[in-house]
Amino acid sequence: MSVKYTPVQWNANKWFYDAIMLVGVAAFLWIFLYLTPEALAHERPINPQIHNARAFGACAFVMLTVILCIGPLARLDKRFLPLLYNRRHFGVMTTFVALTHSGYILNWYFNFSSSDKVVGLLYANISFGQLAGFPFEVFGIFALICLLILATTSHDFWLKFLTPPVWKRLHYLIYAAYFAVAAHISLGILQDQQNHVFSALFLGGAGAVIVLHLAAWWSERAEDGTAVGGDWVTVADASAFREGHAKITRLPNGDRVAVFLMEGQLSAIANACAHQNGPLGEGKIIDCLVTCPWHGFQYDVRTGRSPAPFTEKVPTYSLRLSGTMIEVNADAHPPGTYVDPLTLPTPEPDTAEAPA
Amino acid sequence: MDIAQAIVLALQAWGIIGAAVAAVFLTIGIDRIDEDARGAYVFRPLLIPGVLMIWPLVLWRWWQIEAEAAPWAARYRPVRASYGAAVIAMSLGIVVIVGLGLSVRQTWPADAAPVQLSAGDSQ
Repeated sequence: MSVKYTPVQWNANKWFYDAIMLVGVAAFLWIFLYLTPEALAHERPINPQIHNARAFGACAFVMLTVILCIGPLARLDKRFLPLLYNRRHFGVMTTFVALTHSGYILNWYFNFSSSDKVVGLLYANISFGQLAGFPFEVFGIFALICLLILATTSHDFWLKFLTPPVWKRLHYLIYAAYFAVAAHISLGILQDQQNHVFSALFLGGAGAVIVLHLAAWWSERAEDGTAVGGDWVTVADASAFREGHAKITRLPNGDRVAVFLMEGQLSAIANACAHQNGPLGEGKIIDCLVTCPWHGFQYDVRTGRSPAPFTEKVPTYSLRLSGTMIEVNADAHPPGTYVDPLTLPTPEPDTAEAPA
Repeated sequence: MDIAQAIVLALQAWGIIGAAVAAVFLTIGIDRIDEDARGAYVFRPLLIPGVLMIWPLVLWRWWQIEAEAAPWAARYRPVRASYGAAVIAMSLGIVVIVGLGLSVRQTWPADAAPVQLSAGDSQ
């Protein structure tokens, strides 16, 4: 946030979230290492180092799958929003688990290599011209590099420094990483898996990620398509607004605007939070401030400014009434610009019936 | 082996340049471009791995901020428009790679009767 940076911003909720996550990782590893070791079995006996490598690899896949399911679940159903909170710690932990997996691989299979271990890893299999026996390790290396980039740029500083759009685009690497992990597994362990517990886990997990993301994308597409008239864009009928809540509309340039009703007056700010482009329009106004549902950043909807001592600002927009319809001007004011709220003509705008 | 060694050498060079960028950026640059970092030192070591990974991006943004070259509106531009393309590409990629992986799997299903691949009398 816009106060002095600290290494990690902890609070009681984050401690609780991280504790559950750590217990989950420990439970997964215990189950796969001791309770049902045959779940990751090989058709030939394997030693503890390989078994550890597989357990950590499987754990990293499951963690990555859960991380990728949280986003679309929260978009499809707001009850999952608490899971989105602190997801960055989840990602960093996943990177450590994946690093442990790669460490076991390097320090077992390539420990006695006559050359450097990493050179040995890159050189051991170079059959790039065939699918069966393809060097699946390269997919794992690519995924690990992606995870390292995501984990090492997860501090709030990077968001502010890179700007949310650049940071977000960089973090789209998660999708490339997940594909690479799927390829790493498909052309790797899946080729030789005899116990199909992990195969089912893999196919079910990857399927869930695909279905949830496609469903979230489809539901977002359904929200688009706003009527346009010159520089002004129609938002909604004046009677459609609810006190303390917003209507979100999409401008021709792709930006989204959140139009809030507060004390009988309408104000419009950018829908993208200055922190991580969270959907401000899905937040509720309390004490003149709207709270971003993703990470709790707050803004005055009349000025687009965070309350002191914070300094975040978002662009504001002008509104007008055309008949009974509310319209927003597509040209944004610079972030933090005060705009006079638009007073609604009806005395009780949140009543159900629209004026004739 | 030569290519593998060249890749490792390139990675080492990337890391050395990144370390140099991190040394300058985290001691001088960060104070110039971010007021919230002034007087805050404990968090800076946490940024070192990130600079090592993406130092070209760090140099680009540092220059952009110093030169005030980025339009203010760019900071607020939503990136959700490319979400659909990313998700479709990932989904198709996973379906294809899993299909290919299963198609070349030699021992699946495990209880299938062995099939003689050549010199058989019928298919």
